Amino acid sequence: MTIRKFAVIGALALAGVSLMGLSAKAEDVTLTLWSLDKDIQPAPNLIKEFNAQNNGIKIEYRLIQFDDVVTEAMRAYATGQAPDIIAVDNPEHALFSSRGAFLDLTDMIKGSTVIKPENYFPGPLKSVEWDGKYYGVPKATNTIALYYNKDMFKAKGLDPNKPPQTWDELVEDARKLTDPAKNVYGLAFSAKASEEGTFQFLPWAQMGGGGYEHINADGAVKALETWKTIIDEKLASPDSMTRGQWDSTGTFNSGNAAMAISGPWELERMTQEAKFDWGVALLPVPKEGAERSSAMGDFNWAIFSSTKHPAEAFKALEYFVSQDDKLFKNFGQLPARSDISIPETGQPLKDAALKVFLEQLKYAKPRGPHPQWPKISKAIQDAIQAALTGQMSPKEALDQAAEKIKAVLG
Amino acid sequence: MSERTHNRVMLALAILLAGIYLFPLYWMYITALKSGSEMFATPPSFWPAAPRWNTFAEVWQSRQMGRFLWNSLVIAIGATTLIAVLGVGCAYVLARYRNVWVDIGLFLVLMLQVLPASLMVTPIFVGFSQLGVLDYPRLAVVVAIAAKSMPFFVILVRATFMAVPQELEEAALVDGNSRIGAFVNIVLPLARNGILVSAILIFMQAFGEFVYSKSMIQGIELQPASVGLNSFMGPNTNEWNNIMAFATIYVTPILAVFVLLQRRIVSGLTSGALK
Amino acid sequence: MRRILSSIRDGHGFDILLVAFPLGFLFLMAGLPLIYNAVMSFQEVDMFSLGTFSRPFVGLKNYRDLFAQPETWPILYNTLVFVVGSIAGQFLIGFGLALFFWVNFPGASWLRGLFLVSWVMPGLVVGAVWNWILSGDFGVLNFLLRESGIISGNIFWRSDPQYSLYAVIIANIWLGTAFNMILLSVGLSAIPGDLYEAAELDGANAWQRFWTITLPMMRSSIGAIIALGLIFTLQQFDLFAAITSGGPNNSSNVTQYWAWELSFRQYDFAKGATISVIMIVFVMFASVVYVRSTRHEVRG
Repeated sequence: MTIRKFAVIGALALAGVSLMGLSAKAEDVTLTLWSLDKDIQPAPNLIKEFNAQNNGIKIEYRLIQFDDVVTEAMRAYATGQAPDIIAVDNPEHALFSSRGAFLDLTDMIKGSTVIKPENYFPGPLKSVEWDGKYYGVPKATNTIALYYNKDMFKAKGLDPNKPPQTWDELVEDARKLTDPAKNVYGLAFSAKASEEGTFQFLPWAQMGGGGYEHINADGAVKALETWKTIIDEKLASPDSMTRGQWDSTGTFNSGNAAMAISGPWELERMTQEAKFDWGVALLPVPKEGAERSSAMGDFNWAIFSSTKHPAEAFKALEYFVSQDDKLFKNFGQLPARSDISIPETGQPLKDAALKVFLEQLKYAKPRGPHPQWPKISKAIQDAIQAALTGQMSPKEALDQAAEKIKAVLG
Repeated sequence: MSERTHNRVMLALAILLAGIYLFPLYWMYITALKSGSEMFATPPSFWPAAPRWNTFAEVWQSRQMGRFLWNSLVIAIGATTLIAVLGVGCAYVLARYRNVWVDIGLFLVLMLQVLPASLMVTPIFVGFSQLGVLDYPRLAVVVAIAAKSMPFFVILVRATFMAVPQELEEAALVDGNSRIGAFVNIVLPLARNGILVSAILIFMQAFGEFVYSKSMIQGIELQPASVGLNSFMGPNTNEWNNIMAFATIYVTPILAVFVLLQRRIVSGLTSGALK
Repeated sequence: MRRILSSIRDGHGFDILLVAFPLGFLFLMAGLPLIYNAVMSFQEVDMFSLGTFSRPFVGLKNYRDLFAQPETWPILYNTLVFVVGSIAGQFLIGFGLALFFWVNFPGASWLRGLFLVSWVMPGLVVGAVWNWILSGDFGVLNFLLRESGIISGNIFWRSDPQYSLYAVIIANIWLGTAFNMILLSVGLSAIPGDLYEAAELDGANAWQRFWTITLPMMRSSIGAIIALGLIFTLQQFDLFAAITSGGPNNSSNVTQYWAWELSFRQYDFAKGATISVIMIVFVMFASVVYVRSTRHEVRG
C-alpha cells in the first residue's frame, strides 16, 4: 500500500516537474531553420549566438544537403511541416516565391533599420525579388574565376603574370600546359549534368552574348565549341563531365591540372594543400574587350509563408544580416553587400585572390529568376552533355535546348 | 595431386579471390589514411606516405559518431524485431500450403517492394505526416524499413520452412498439440537457424538504411550514421579521406562482429540448418 | 467467439491470423504508396499539391508525353542491359564462388564468410568507394589495368558514354555477389550427399553430376535468387547517384533513377510516377515467373 502511495506521489511530482519545465519553455518562441551549412559554416554558428542572447526566441537547426534542399522543403511545405526559415539556392528562390510559399518581406524590410535593399549587390538582390517584391534576403554570394598554377606556367615558358585573357588564349595555354606524361591536364572545370554544369557554362554563354533566354546565340555556340575542343583534345579530364567543381579543383591542388575554374570556396583548402605558387584571374572573355560576365552563386534566406511567427523569424534574419561583416573573416564567405569592405587576411595569395573575386563579382548575373528554373537548367545541362559526348554538334544541342527553354518560358 | 597439396592450392586460390573481392574495402581503409592531395595523386599510392591515423579520432569527435551509431543501432534493432515478429508467421503459412491463395500472397509480397525507397518515400511521408507518426521519427523510419525489407525476409524464411518436414508437425498435432503448440515447439526450433541468419541479413541492411532516415528524421540528434555520412558529401565539400574515415568507423564494428560470427552464420546455413 | 478462438488455436484461423497482419501491414505501407504513385501517373501534379489526392485527371497524357521524349527508349534499353548484366554477373560469379567453397578445404567456411562483407556495407558507402575506384585519372582500377597491360590509355568509366553503364554494373555485381553466393551455398548444402555418391558409382563425371543433380535440385533456390536479384537490381539507386548520376547524357540512366530525377530534380512528379507504373508492370511479370518457379519446390 505504502509503496503504491509513494509511487503515485512520485509520479505526480514527476509530472509536475515536467509540466513546469514545459511551461517555462513555452514562453520562448521556437523557430525551426533549415540550411545546408555545416558546423564550420555560418548558419549553425549564427544560431548559437542568436540563442545565447536569450531574447525569447529559440532557433532549432536542421542541416540538409545541397541536393535535397528543394525536395525536402517542398515536401514539408505540401504537408504542413515546413520550417520557419530556410536557406535556399538563389536560382530556386523564384520557384517558391512565385507560388506564395515564401513570405513577402517587402513591408518588413521597409521598416527595418538593419536590412536595406540598397546595401546589396544588384545580382543577389534580384534573385530574391519576384513581381517587384522581396521574398528573402541574400545570405552570401560567390562567383567563379580562373585559378592557375604559376609554377607550371614558368615551367612551360609562359609568363606567370599573364594568365589567359580570351578563350583562344585559354585553349592555347591549356594545350601548352597539358602534359600526359606527367598526368597534367591544362584545365579543370565541371560540366556535370547538374546545376553545377549550368553554373559553369552560363557565364560563357553570357559573355558570348547569349543567356538562358537565347542559349543558342552564336557566341554561346562558340562557347560550347570551345568546351568541346577542350574535352576532345583532352586538355581537361573527360571526367569533368561527371565531376563536381570541388573534385575537379582537387586535381588542380594536387598538381594534376594547370588551371581550374572555380569559386572562392576553394581558397581555404587551396592555401593548405597547394604546394606551388598560384594566382587567380578573371574568367577569359570571347575576345579582347568583350563584355565580361560571371555566375552568381550562393544562398538566400527566406521565411515560409506558413510560419506562425513571422515577426520573430524576421528578427532572426535581421540578426544574421547584422553579422554579415564577419562572414569572410569567420567563414571565408563573401557577403552579398556593397557597403561592407572585407578586411585583409594577411595571407598574400588569399588576399590577391579575394581582390579578383570581388572584381569578378561585379559582372555576376543571377540565374533566372524563373519559377521553372530547374527545367531551364536541365535543358542547358542536356545540351552540354550531348555536345561533349559527341552525340550532337554544339549548334544542334543548343538549338534543341533553346526549343525546350522556349516551351518552358511560354 | 595429394590431398594436402590440393588443400593448399585451394586455400591459396581462395585467398587470392578474397583479396580481389575485398580490394574495394582495402581501398576505403587506405584512402581514409591519406592526406587530401595524396588521394588525387597519379599513380595512386597503395600505402599512404604518411598515414594519418588521427583522421579517425578527428572524425569521431567532430562528427559525434557515437550518437549516430547509436541511432543506427536503435533503428536496425527496431526494424529487425518488427520484421521478425510479422514476417515469420507469414512465411510459415506461405510455406505450409500450396494453393492459389499462396500464389497470390507470394505475388503480392513481391510486388509490393518493386519501387526503390527514393520513390516510395514521398507517399509514405505524406501518409505519416497526416497520421502524426512523424512526431516519432525513429519509429517512423523503423516502420518504413520494415515494410521495405519484410518481403525479402519472408521469402528467405519461407525457404527455410519449406525444408522443415511436414510430417514432424503433423506428428506433433497427432500427439495432441494445438496448432500454436506445434508451431512454437516443433517448427520454430527447427527453422531457428534460417530465421536467425535472415534476421542478421536484414539487420545489416537496416543498419545502412539511408533514404527514409534522411527524409523523416529531421533532428540531428536522432539521425543514423548513414545520414551523418551523407552530410559529408555535397558538391562543395567532398573530403574523400574524411568520408572514408567516417565510412570505416561506420562499417568496421559491424564487420568485426560479422567476421567473429560469420563461421556460425555460414556453417549454420551450409551444414544444412536442420541436420 | 469461442469458435473463432479455437480456430485460432487449432485451425485455419491460426494461419489466417499469421498472414493477415503482415499482409495488412504491407498493404498499408507499401501498397498504398504504390496506388498513390499509380493515381499520380494519370493526374496533373503540382509540386505543392503532394499532400492531397484531388488533382485534375489528365488521362493518358503523361504516358503519351513520356514516350514522345527522345530519351525514353534508350533509358528503357539501358535498364534492360543493367538488369540482365547485373543479374547474370552476380549469379554466375556467386554460383562459381559457392561451388568453389563447397569443396571442403581447410579455411573454406572462414574465407567464404569474408565475401559477405559487401552485404554489410551500406549502399552509400559502396557507391562512394566505387566512385573513387572507377575515377578516370586517379582511379585505381585504371591504374591496375594499365600496369597489367590490358589497356593502354585510361578508360573514363564514369564519363565515357560507352562505359558509364558498365561502371555501375561492375559495382552492382560486386555488391550483389555476396547475396547470391550465400543463398546458393545454402541451396547446395541442402542437396543430399548420397545422391552424388550414387551418381559417382554410376560413373557420372563431375560435369554430368552438375547438370543432372546440382542444377535440378537447385531449381527453386535459383528461381528465388533471380527473382530477388531482379528486384534488388531494379531498386538499385545509391550506386547511380554516387557514380554517374545517370550521365553523361543519360548514357547510364535507368528507369528507377530517371523516375527519381524527374520527380525530385525537375519536380515533374507525374512523369516520375508514370515511370514507376511502367516498372511495376515489369516486375509484375517477373513476380509471375518467380511464383511459377515455386511450383517445382519440393517439400522436405
